[in-house]
Amino acid sequence: MRFTKAGLAAALAAGLALTGCASAGSDTQGQTSKSLTLGNVLAPATFEARNLNWGNQSIYFQAVYDSLLKPSPNGKDVEPHLATKWDYNADKTVLTVKLRDDVTFTDGTPFTAEVAAQNLLRFRDGTSPQRSKILDLADATAKDKTTLEIKLKQANPAFLIYLAQAAGMQESPAAFDKPDVKTNPVGSGPYVLKTSDTVVGTSYKFEKNPKYWDAGSVKYDRLTINVYNDATSLLNALRGKQLDAAAVGDNSILPQVEGAGFKLNGQNLNFAGLLLFDRAGKTNPALGNIKVRQAINYAVDTDAMMKVVALGRAESTRQVFREESHAYDEKLNDRYNYDPAKARELVKEAGYPNGVELTVPTSSAFPKQLWPLLQQQLGDVGIKVNLVDVGQNLIADLQGQKFGLSYFTLQRDANEWQLISNMLSPTATWNTFKYQDPKVDELIETIRTAEGDARDKALKELNTYIVDQAWFAPWYSQTLYFVTNAGTNVELNAGNAWPNLWNITPKA
Amino acid sequence: MITFIVRRLLTGLVLLAAITTLGFTLLYLGGGDIARKILGENADEQTVALKAQELGLDRPVFAQYGDWVVNALGGDLGASWFSGQPVAAAILSRLAVTLSLVTGAVVLIAIISVTLGVLAATKREWIDRVAQVIALLGFAIPNFLFAVALVLLFALTLGWFDPTGYVQFTTSPSGWAKTVTLPVVALALGGIAAITQQVRGSVIDALRNDYVRTLRSRGIPARRVILKHVLRNAAGPALAVLAVYFVGLMGGAVIVEQVFAIPGLGQVAVQATTQGDIPLVMGLLVATGIIVIVFNLLVDLAQGWLNPKVRLS
Repeated sequence: MRFTKAGLAAALAAGLALTGCASAGSDTQGQTSKSLTLGNVLAPATFEARNLNWGNQSIYFQAVYDSLLKPSPNGKDVEPHLATKWDYNADKTVLTVKLRDDVTFTDGTPFTAEVAAQNLLRFRDGTSPQRSKILDLADATAKDKTTLEIKLKQANPAFLIYLAQAAGMQESPAAFDKPDVKTNPVGSGPYVLKTSDTVVGTSYKFEKNPKYWDAGSVKYDRLTINVYNDATSLLNALRGKQLDAAAVGDNSILPQVEGAGFKLNGQNLNFAGLLLFDRAGKTNPALGNIKVRQAINYAVDTDAMMKVVALGRAESTRQVFREESHAYDEKLNDRYNYDPAKARELVKEAGYPNGVELTVPTSSAFPKQLWPLLQQQLGDVGIKVNLVDVGQNLIADLQGQKFGLSYFTLQRDANEWQLISNMLSPTATWNTFKYQDPKVDELIETIRTAEGDARDKALKELNTYIVDQAWFAPWYSQTLYFVTNAGTNVELNAGNAWPNLWNITPKA
Repeated sequence: MITFIVRRLLTGLVLLAAITTLGFTLLYLGGGDIARKILGENADEQTVALKAQELGLDRPVFAQYGDWVVNALGGDLGASWFSGQPVAAAILSRLAVTLSLVTGAVVLIAIISVTLGVLAATKREWIDRVAQVIALLGFAIPNFLFAVALVLLFALTLGWFDPTGYVQFTTSPSGWAKTVTLPVVALALGGIAAITQQVRGSVIDALRNDYVRTLRSRGIPARRVILKHVLRNAAGPALAVLAVYFVGLMGGAVIVEQVFAIPGLGQVAVQATTQGDIPLVMGLLVATGIIVIVFNLLVDLAQGWLNPKVRLS
């Protein structure tokens, strides 16, 4: 009997606790107009400034660190930040930067040109995924307390943009060797990470930096960034009004997100299609033949791909450059209109009357509905696609030149040089076979140093050439969305999935 | 008793050594290019090589494992390759979360299953049929589907609970209750089905014993017979199933924590395994291994307390 009473009492107590507490109100998620809660699909890999990444992780770093320059929302230009003025020498290999003299890190250490030089050199010598972008950096030295001199091995038209991203983030030198530097950042940014309330990998809590030098630009007292590993939990958080804004990686949940009262702010960010890496035909001679590469472009019905793979949230394109780029040419989008007959003819003309076989990697990272369509459409023109599942090794296998082509979505940087450095130049990460073409090399060198019309002309010529040469087979630029609730405004950042932190603001 | 405990703990240590060795081997066999995974698609090959060197991935696997064992024995489980957080801190901060879910589920399972199982066995008729239906549903509905249904109804439609996230008890007890209730219920469903059936069967078997007839013939009230004698005899098998379920619940928490975006061991286990975060996965193997070993030892001791026939000496 005692057992029964005890059991019943425990059950009752538990039940009361649960139901009673559940109705107790909204104290746990209580938000005021001064707090901002964001949803992200990625957690920061590290807060250590020398190893920072960018893209989806940029929002965390803009909270705690200041960069030398500020990226403009157009993704191409930069604005003053810790640096107030900057000038290149004639051949653009020496950059002189004037810095603010009123900035201190949250540990009290003053920000100086010497600190900026150390941070830049540490980034170049670190292991950040963005490190390759500033390999042109030869040296950085402090000329005086507020003057930084940066020497480059060669002119780099995107260098100022890099100083506004991960490479330009400034960490207190006192934190350089701290054992917890990866999870406890010390910067001079608008917010301070509250490590006691943060669950690494899941939820990051920030509080306003009370001594921030640009206090007027900080619109919220508290900032929370929650990480959602799957689309369902992100959707539930949005529908449950637990978030003010979020970057949505999976477009399939957008109708429900919109139904929950969120505004969909989209931009055509990445391009999707086939990357034809092996333009010299090392792994498959057929890929070295321009007619086969062009046939691949003609063979794919991009409208069908957009509908099936991108769920209609995309814009057809045959170019890797963004629409607002000086390289972009609307006419090039008609260069490879869907024409299976022409594709078949090109395959035969290329010397393959019995067709071509291509080995294409598949991975769980790619949409499954893509493959039947691709195999059917290429098969129709005599190109047989053999799929090989590479499991978790996709990127390593692609970079290791194991495949001559692959389906992929690649970020289209707003700054043309950034895009060229990532996809086209002989050292570009996504020119995996390091393919070189004298004409492309010549145009890239022109773009490196030219200005104004001469530069724009070279960009257009480069784009036209690689479209004609079928370096890629782009299908569409995918629209990605940053969603905001009724109380939040946003100005998107061209070329980046996340807007700049200061461009997320409360509605008046 | 002491000898038994020492023997079980030594067996546990051997088991732990086997688990970690096997785990390390499997992680390396299926790990792929870990430095590339850490740095992502935009890093160049030179930086990937530097990262591999920095993490010691360019050394022989045996040397890496040897270092891990030596450091682990010294209490240093290393740091996550993907977040930089010390593994021990990463596990400890999430252990309390998962244990609060699993413990809550075990308590819920025990209360509902024992009540329902005993009533089904003694009253039969409609209550028995209800228990059978609940068991059937519990077995048939995967807990992730049940979790999603709970979120839709109680969080998104009725607004009684938070659909995602976790609030620490120390921060806000009511916030904690709002975030753990649905995950606990979702986790408990399968266990309720299994343990109710087990209790029901065991009680029916026990009721058929001669000693029950004897007790009843002496005029001892039926309720006392059931609670003091029958239930004690029937509890052994149920406890054994519950012990198995406890381990299962640790696994079930993986899915439930994903659905509710709860920062528990399950969520971090999924991430770490998918990413190939070897230090973190190894730390998780050690932590879960210790939990399972200790829990099974406690269950064995409880079995002995409940049933003198299996009492340990």
